[in-house]
Amino acid sequence: MADLLVSVGIDIGTTTTQVIFSHIVVEDLSSGFSVPRIEITSKEIVHRGEICFTPLLSDNEIDMAGVARIVEREYARAGIDKRSIATGAVVITGETARKRNASEVLYHLADFAGDFVVAVAGPRQESVLAARGAGADVYAKVHGTTAGNYDIGGGTSNFAMFDQGNLAAAGCLDIGGRLLRIDPAGPTVAAVAPKIQRLCADQNIALRAGGPAGPAELARLAEAMAELLAMSLGLLPKSDFYPQILTEPGRDIVLPRPLANLCFSGGVADYVYADSSEADPFRYGDLGILLGQAVRRSPALGRIPRFAGAETIRATVVGAGSHTVELSGSTIEYDPGLLPLKSLPILKLTEAEASSGATLAQAVRSKLEWFQTDGHWQSVAIAFKGPRSPSFAAVQDLADGIVAGAAELRAAGLPVVVIAENDLAKILGQSIRRRLPGQKGFVCVDAVRVEEGDYVDIGLPTAQGRVLPVAVKTLLFE
Amino acid sequence: MFAESDVRQMVRDVLADLLATPAGASRPPASSEVEEGQVPDVTAVSTKDEFHVPNPANRTAYLEAKQKTVARLGVGRAGPRYNTWSMLHFRADHATAQDAVFTDLDDSLVKAQGFVAGQTLCQSKDEFLTRPDRGRLLDDETKALFSRELPHGGQVTLMVGDGLSSSAFVNIPDIVPAIKQGLKGYGIDVGPVPYVKYCRVGAMDDLGALVGSEVVCLLIGERPGLATGESMSAYMAYRPNAERPESWRTVVSNIYSGGTPPAEAGAHVATLIKRILDKKTSGVELGL
Repeated sequence: MADLLVSVGIDIGTTTTQVIFSHIVVEDLSSGFSVPRIEITSKEIVHRGEICFTPLLSDNEIDMAGVARIVEREYARAGIDKRSIATGAVVITGETARKRNASEVLYHLADFAGDFVVAVAGPRQESVLAARGAGADVYAKVHGTTAGNYDIGGGTSNFAMFDQGNLAAAGCLDIGGRLLRIDPAGPTVAAVAPKIQRLCADQNIALRAGGPAGPAELARLAEAMAELLAMSLGLLPKSDFYPQILTEPGRDIVLPRPLANLCFSGGVADYVYADSSEADPFRYGDLGILLGQAVRRSPALGRIPRFAGAETIRATVVGAGSHTVELSGSTIEYDPGLLPLKSLPILKLTEAEASSGATLAQAVRSKLEWFQTDGHWQSVAIAFKGPRSPSFAAVQDLADGIVAGAAELRAAGLPVVVIAENDLAKILGQSIRRRLPGQKGFVCVDAVRVEEGDYVDIGLPTAQGRVLPVAVKTLLFE
Repeated sequence: MFAESDVRQMVRDVLADLLATPAGASRPPASSEVEEGQVPDVTAVSTKDEFHVPNPANRTAYLEAKQKTVARLGVGRAGPRYNTWSMLHFRADHATAQDAVFTDLDDSLVKAQGFVAGQTLCQSKDEFLTRPDRGRLLDDETKALFSRELPHGGQVTLMVGDGLSSSAFVNIPDIVPAIKQGLKGYGIDVGPVPYVKYCRVGAMDDLGALVGSEVVCLLIGERPGLATGESMSAYMAYRPNAERPESWRTVVSNIYSGGTPPAEAGAHVATLIKRILDKKTSGVELGL
């Protein structure tokens, strides 16, 4: 029996705002002679919204009402009732994530878009969403190789690499087509982002806001940007300037294995794949087209075989709409009344800390303090890998540890949320339930991998209540 | 081309040469010396991690695929035959399966669990293997014992049998308490657990008719394959009796450390039993 989830993806980017809707099919793949194995069996985009410029009130403020109107219009065009939305994500990307009201807009839109629409922000997750949207993960898995995607947008260039089916690297550079805006009448430079101004200074390129936009200078700047992209993949030696271009200071892209295949997405990507030498380079009033041409011609970037991704300009929004949500394991235990749970920070335990009930309780108690805000306890998800095929006795010990460690949370009326990687959530959940008789207040899921610093959303049950949709995400605003 | 007579002559010559060689000269010297050390255990490395294809085009992708199956992929070959490693591993796994089938379960293990121990009409392993019909019926002494020791007309009877693998009993200490805990969470208590030696799945019908409980859940060793000898199944039926078709049974199979972990499976089985009690039906009709 298949379940159909209608999912929405919304991307509020530096240059454009986009909406897509997709259908996610969930089925039980088990033989019927074993425990259920419920998986996502297909994802299909059913409506691709119009690509609109992101409405801004000022240089530092997003026009929330304007964004909401775009979203509302796409719901109407797709003929989709907001109440039928089961899941999805709103992602705020690139320069837009740095606006004064970025977090407010994000949470507001997530609530506005549907009951379980996940709010996502952060350069590395943006990279992962774009790469999944472009299909780099599938390419790497199907061809048994490594594949990367560079999503070159208006404000940032986001890279992620997959090795077979697994995420291997992710990072972000402050390089984008809209960081230098051009007034085609002249042409003159309308605006330059501070980092790009510093890049011009470093490269002795005479471009400044209000000054002339000379074709030779613009071409040299685009080439310098393409070289920085090549440096990030180890294709050129890193310049002294390079560390400055990283979106997150000190968080360089580290490739654990050589990158064998590369594709490009984002608004600039169309000019990487197609010869656009005849096009008007100032069509969008920015450096985008010239940047695409520079990437296309870059000998260093050309050293990695290039493949065509599934999406270009829509990669990030497709990633948000179709690839944010995964399913928990199929044998889990939870109190339905608690769901959905949104944006819980992860309290991650090391394998040593989760090796016994006593160490687990101790670690939870001490780490919980990190999550106190103004002296108040905050909901968290306690996460650990957990043993493979644990004995019944070992599970009892862990359950004791969780109940003891989370005593403060329970006293504050907060739920006990447990996330494990290995298959033990049902027995652990039942063991916790036995220790909390009469209390409704826990969720225990498995087959989900999270890291310290992540956040998690857990949605309403699907497949006759046997699985929960889970979104592991980051929330980083600058 | 050789004439047939030439060939005959060549064979004769070769045989004569061989026979003329002093006995034992081409064999390793017979010795009573025992070398130090041990022959490496071929089963120490899982078939999932052994890879014998020379010069693979993509080793990483092949190994990744192998992690998803216990099928013997990429074992290599010597001409048209298995290589030595594959052959030995196959023989070792087959021996494990044979042991699981032919070994009687140590009675002390049953006693340690506090089970009420009985048996079917079968009197020996041989009879058990050759007479499935007799493995489905409890013997008179066992019936009398179970009648005396087990509650009648209860909600759930949890039952354990050796089945075709006595090695599967290794799961019992983890799955039984998990089922009991799960049922207790639903307010259902489970009485003493009967253990049946030389047990076929059908024996749960005989027991069900005897004690008249609503649900019988039988934990029984599965016929072993080459992947493991420890796999166990849980068969559940609502008011089982010999008139019911096979489709009346709900089953969870592949319970062992490498499949569904026994403690996790027990928690799931408890949920299924609750569902069978609620719906008053089992098997295909339960509609999972």
